[in-house]
Amino acid sequence: MENGGDEEFERTLTFFSDQQLCYADVLPPSQVIARIEVAVVNFLRTLTSPATPALPHLPLISRQMSNSHLNQGLLTDVPWIFLSYSYSTRSFMRANSAKSFIRVWKVMEMCFNILRHEKQVTQRELYYMLICTTSGYFSSQLQVNKAIQDVVALLRCSRHSLGIIASSRGLLAGRVVLQEPNKAAVDCAACGPSGYPITGDLSILQNLVLQTDARYIILVEKHAVFQRLAEDGLFNQIPSILITAKGYPDIATRYLLHRLSQSFPKLPILAVVDWNPAGLAILSTFKYGSIEMGLEAFRYACNVKWLGIRGDDLNLIPEESLTPLKPKDLQVAKSLMSSGFISESYREELMLMTHRGQRAEIESLYHHGYDFLGKYLVKKILQVDYI
Amino acid sequence: MEGNRSLMAVDPGDMLWKIKGLTRSIIGDLCTGHCPTISVDRFRNYCKKNSNLICGCSPDYCEGKSNLTFGRACQARQINFLLRVLLIIQQLLQEKKHGSKRDIYYMYPSLFSAQSVVDRAINDLCIILDCSRHNLNVVSVGKGLVMGWLRFTEAGSWYDCMNNLNAAHSVPVHVEKVDDILSMAQYILVVEKESVFQRLANDRFCSRNHCIVITGRGYPDVPTRRFLRLLFETLHLPTFCLVDCDPFGFDILTTYRFGSQQMAQEAKLLCNPEIRWLGAFPSDFEKYRLPEESLLPLTENDERKIKAMLGRCYLQREVPGWRSELELMLQRRVKFEIEALSVQSISFLCQEYIPSKIDEVREWDSSSHSQSPFTTYLLSQQAASTHT
Repeated sequence: MENGGDEEFERTLTFFSDQQLCYADVLPPSQVIARIEVAVVNFLRTLTSPATPALPHLPLISRQMSNSHLNQGLLTDVPWIFLSYSYSTRSFMRANSAKSFIRVWKVMEMCFNILRHEKQVTQRELYYMLICTTSGYFSSQLQVNKAIQDVVALLRCSRHSLGIIASSRGLLAGRVVLQEPNKAAVDCAACGPSGYPITGDLSILQNLVLQTDARYIILVEKHAVFQRLAEDGLFNQIPSILITAKGYPDIATRYLLHRLSQSFPKLPILAVVDWNPAGLAILSTFKYGSIEMGLEAFRYACNVKWLGIRGDDLNLIPEESLTPLKPKDLQVAKSLMSSGFISESYREELMLMTHRGQRAEIESLYHHGYDFLGKYLVKKILQVDYI
Repeated sequence: MEGNRSLMAVDPGDMLWKIKGLTRSIIGDLCTGHCPTISVDRFRNYCKKNSNLICGCSPDYCEGKSNLTFGRACQARQINFLLRVLLIIQQLLQEKKHGSKRDIYYMYPSLFSAQSVVDRAINDLCIILDCSRHNLNVVSVGKGLVMGWLRFTEAGSWYDCMNNLNAAHSVPVHVEKVDDILSMAQYILVVEKESVFQRLANDRFCSRNHCIVITGRGYPDVPTRRFLRLLFETLHLPTFCLVDCDPFGFDILTTYRFGSQQMAQEAKLLCNPEIRWLGAFPSDFEKYRLPEESLLPLTENDERKIKAMLGRCYLQREVPGWRSELELMLQRRVKFEIEALSVQSISFLCQEYIPSKIDEVREWDSSSHSQSPFTTYLLSQQAASTHT
């Protein structure tokens, strides 16, 4: 009874901030088809309006910094990015956006057909289908990807709902048992050092039944480090779940991490990344979401804490392993600093990196022996040394 | 030199004994005042000589030795790297741990100024100690995926792909620990790209066809190649390869079939000599009436690569049919990806293209009177299933 009351109270407090919030829904195909039909009807209505016939613009949720906000819920301490109701338009009447206007419609048409046939396609297949049926409008995979994001922003539904398959990039290992309905349970602790591949199919991930006796979730940036920790059985030394996206996070891995954090809210999520701006960027994407995927971001943001490597661990790293920052690193650092949602302590770390002009990889800790990494992580976890 | 190169696990004790032996011989030489020399055999998988000349290339072909002595400064440096890496490997073996090439580099980054130094040292050590990389406990991250009618154990844990036929499982990294392989598949399908693997999973290909599907996600890594070899040796199933119709696809195909030049000393263990090229061929473009827009022009790099590959001696000798298709690609100056097959109908690849290509192979085998025993097996399985 009391718990129900608390939840009600929380919901009421976040009500007003949520009203500003625009998000992408995960919808079944029939609803996406309906939204596409509504878009067409609206277009035709404006076009054939007896009083003022005109070619309407396409109102897309703007994916610019100016439209993004950081939500700091009153009762929650999990800030996340969301996009508000500011629109950018694709208009047929302006020369430079006429083609992108058409591209949005073409992608919608293609997705409409795919969903009607109850199929799914990969982004590459969609590219080939588009260039072979509509010559002249699409010249690269990048244009197709951008048009897809425009459709997501227009219809406000997730990319997955449009029938686009995502690749399986992430891996899971450790003290968690997954079960798809009507299939046998998979114990990720018995998966060996290669881990359990996380499927790209969000609807499967949605229906997974999760069970765990872990006390921490350890998020690893790189595949090689994940494999080392899985092989060393870190998740048995300290009961935990290991998860990696093998680099820049994809939607499926973020979604599963989000589900884990919702199902087991008491488990802190600790990130192990390289000491360089790219590592921090990866951590931020898991933590806050990303503006490009703005509409789908908030659903999957998690309260991730930075375990290692951080500035105070630099004394453990041999001098030769500290390599100079490359120009690209500096660019990433600059955009992170100006993004406005990095916390103060993270900002200090970034400034230390740019000030010293150096970066270090996690593997440089192997200098002290192979099992040093495991011991270092366990020590930090037990000392609650994460920010 | 057959030696210890095999897919079976080698007792680490044997490896440590060999390392001791090598060290003892070097110290022995030093004590008696001789200049120690380490000789390393050099292997070659193929050569680029004029295909009219007969070369002696074959898997494991040793084309000579190179000698490293302490006497010359640059060679002494190389021996230093070798011994340093050997020290790390000895530690790995003693502690029963595994490391990757990158991990080894990070142990002494100031000494090994670049990753390539470590890579070369490891390869040389494999040749000197006459073993495979995994015998030295040097492993890489697993890249490959597998799904279908297969079940096996790795170090005691069960991997049951048959439980969820259209779900991807990682190819195991420690292939020497794989055992109890059980399969109800009629053939193995190897695909180049992960996106094609996803297409097959999405269309539930393995539910309708009794097969095993494997992908190396591009150039296959060593565990994927070893795993494929293990399946070949245990199950004796026909294996087909589906790649893009471009120079890189062809190169990946030859890697599966003949092995790579970098790992030439272990080519026999890492290749599948019976793998067949299922598609896509340049001639498929007319045959399946693919749309014009899906053709991409060959770049200068592509043409250079094709010309280089055409010079490989094993093509003319072993697979002249493949060579003519490659020449056709060069002649036409175009390439296309597998996704072009999905343009007209998304399920075309799984429902029409792959089954019809496999049927073609069977017909060709039976009509050419040189039916491989594997095709006989395949046909007998089919006959048995139609009976029941």
